[in-house]
Amino acid sequence: MIGIFMLAVAGLTSAAVYLLGVRPLGLVPARLGAALGKMLEMVGAVLIFLVADLLVALVLVVALRGVTGTFVSVYVIDDTVWLGLALLQGLVFQWWREVSARQAGAAALEQRGNLG
Amino acid sequence: MSLDRAFRLTGLVGVAFFFAAAFTPLALALHLWMAVEPQLVPSDAIVVLGASVLHSGILSAESTRRTNHAIELYQQGLAPRLILLGGAPEGGPTEAEIRAKVARLHSIPAEAIVTESMARTTREEAARVADLARPRGIRTVLLVTNTAHMVRARPLFERAGFEVHAAPSDIYFEPITPEARLILIKRLLQEVLGWIYYRIAGYA
Repeated sequence: MIGIFMLAVAGLTSAAVYLLGVRPLGLVPARLGAALGKMLEMVGAVLIFLVADLLVALVLVVALRGVTGTFVSVYVIDDTVWLGLALLQGLVFQWWREVSARQAGAAALEQRGNLG
Repeated sequence: MSLDRAFRLTGLVGVAFFFAAAFTPLALALHLWMAVEPQLVPSDAIVVLGASVLHSGILSAESTRRTNHAIELYQQGLAPRLILLGGAPEGGPTEAEIRAKVARLHSIPAEAIVTESMARTTREEAARVADLARPRGIRTVLLVTNTAHMVRARPLFERAGFEVHAAPSDIYFEPITPEARLILIKRLLQEVLGWIYYRIAGYA
């Protein structure tokens, strides 16, 4: 019941933002699919960072236990903060790629202009 | 495959998993699939595995659930002894001490209670309980922990020489909010990974 309510609210705000985007903001409805694709890429990057962080943490815990003999709980990887960190890492990485590609595109256009 | 495509596929899997985990009965189905049938038969002792305790000395919800379940089993006359586990990783009173206090408040005699607070992992708990149980002639145990943890804990106690009867503390647990379903899925995944780790390390 709570789940249906949450989905309904998210659906409602999404519909409102869609109308707002199409009319006053003048966004192109046909590009919504591309935006969804970008969202999936962002989520994917975050998940890959999350898995990498957890794997590295696990290896370090096991290595610390083995090398120093100090007990470090594996439950250190059981923390929601890892998801927050991975979110920041994923966002920065994707935006870094985005601005680099934009810069490379602008440089190419400029070069073509000079040649022309 | 390009990086974008790999990210997009991972993202698709992640988003699909998120919706399935939060908004469908997937978590409950997995929980029931992993569940072991409770075997509430007379045994030599009830062993309650550690969960966690706050620095202030308040038992976590999980620890309270296990402790209450064990007290109930004791009061049903299923075993004459209660072995309560749990340390204090952040300092303060140990989980086992607090559990013992709760048990005594429920009129369980102090001489029926054994506490152990040195073990830090499930594997260590099995070994420490074996050390405590041997001189007391304890061979059969009612093992109290949550369903997901039981999958990993049970073989460890069997390996330590006990005849183990599962007494899961959360058999009637049914998550009804999306957040509770996500927490349950996380716990199940955690235990599956823990079980894989124990198998690789040769502990179970």
